[in-house]
Amino acid sequence: MATIKRGVSSYSYQNVIFDRKMGYRDFIRTIREDLNTDGVELIDETFINHYPFITDEFVYDWRNTIARYNMKSVTMDVYLDVLQFRDHVMTFEEGAERLKRDLHIAARLGFENVRCLRPIPAEIIDMCVDTAEKEGVRLGQEIHSPVQIRYDPEKDWNKARGNLVDERLVEHMLQRAEKSPFVGLVPDMGLFHTGVTPALVAAARRTIQNDDCVDYILENRNKLPWQDLKRLVAEKFPTIDTDAQITLSLIRPQASAKPEELMDIMHIILSIHGKFYEMVEDPTKPGGYYDPSIPYDEIMKILLEGGYDGYINSEFEGQGHTNDLPDDQMFDELEQVRRQHKMLVALGAV
Amino acid sequence: MPKYTTEQGTLQNVVCPKTGKIVGFKFGVRLPRYRGNMLSLINGYYVNVDGVEYPQDAMRFEINGKPPRTWAEIKQAVWEHWDYLDTGWLFIEKEGGLAKGKHTVLATCCNYEQYGYKPATDQARVDNVEIPSVGGAGHTSAALPLEMEIQ
Repeated sequence: MATIKRGVSSYSYQNVIFDRKMGYRDFIRTIREDLNTDGVELIDETFINHYPFITDEFVYDWRNTIARYNMKSVTMDVYLDVLQFRDHVMTFEEGAERLKRDLHIAARLGFENVRCLRPIPAEIIDMCVDTAEKEGVRLGQEIHSPVQIRYDPEKDWNKARGNLVDERLVEHMLQRAEKSPFVGLVPDMGLFHTGVTPALVAAARRTIQNDDCVDYILENRNKLPWQDLKRLVAEKFPTIDTDAQITLSLIRPQASAKPEELMDIMHIILSIHGKFYEMVEDPTKPGGYYDPSIPYDEIMKILLEGGYDGYINSEFEGQGHTNDLPDDQMFDELEQVRRQHKMLVALGAV
Repeated sequence: MPKYTTEQGTLQNVVCPKTGKIVGFKFGVRLPRYRGNMLSLINGYYVNVDGVEYPQDAMRFEINGKPPRTWAEIKQAVWEHWDYLDTGWLFIEKEGGLAKGKHTVLATCCNYEQYGYKPATDQARVDNVEIPSVGGAGHTSAALPLEMEIQ
């Protein structure tokens, strides 16, 4: 029977990890003891020292820790730093070599999937499908806002952002998946990000220092297309930098898809990034939590209807909204993830 | 990005073992992201102490148990990783070092770590020498200044 399983990406605990208070063994144990579940998603270069020359000791200790707590290495997240060589931009052939190496590392660690980033060119993916099959690791490309599930060139922001992204990424992956079960997609739930969280609003008030402006954005952000709202804010509040990151975060929803569009790709979803920004108490359900910026109730309904059989791995990304505050007012990452898992169970995950 | 990437309690003067004279100062820095990256991607640091900016050729960077290196040498470390949890040390040449007491230290990393290809800037970053700025580069944004003390 299809079940929606729970896991956590190490991205969620990035402040605790940065502070050297959570090593990879603690990370794995925390998922078991704190959340009573088994899904592990690893950001490779957070914990793999000497990358890409992973040591036998790390491989054995990772697998041993996974075994000790009865866990599952679900997805390993990999990167592509194209300026590594400094004397030339990495060629696509070189990029494919890095991704093949990552697939090999993931296989050694026992991962089921590798997630590569959305701006990985189609040519590189095509060069790596054979290796994914050989290594027995599925290669999943992330679909992250502003990538769309149903492509509409009118709404394509990728070019404006300066990333080289295959605009037909979803279509191409559906075609590849017809030929190989070792490719698929890793959708990030930020695709459906439409709202704002209390922490974002508070951070915007601290940074923008103009409550009238913040209130004006909040009153109008659901009524107007974001481009129009941005223009109006610039006109009404000429001293405000509408291109500043925090102002844009408030004006522009990240959403580039609708939850029902997940049906188009349900059969090739390898795992899901359970992106969230803040879990707050749900006034309609005592003891329950929700993220006001991402409609998980709608998302989970679609996943259950579509028979999604796989993991949602928490990806907490709200840290930036409290990182400027004193330590005791910053987000407690462990508590935020606990709350998200409580919500996921309430919405039908096991 | 983490709140502070300069490590509290690390600021100290550096004494030349041969002459016994203070030749500069050093402090510890961390990668300003959520993952490690190849060392070659570090293009330099913008360093400002008590309002004084220091030039790139006055800096050496120590990491991975090797002697302090120039940015030109770091650029060649294309198969050497800066492991995420490791402290790197910035050495700044300054005759006599810093006075005892409190100093305001700002160090912003110019890191070419990025998500895949960016056609508008990739080749330019290979062809041109970018001087690290207070605002950072790519995913690395401005760091926060930290008040540190030399005992």
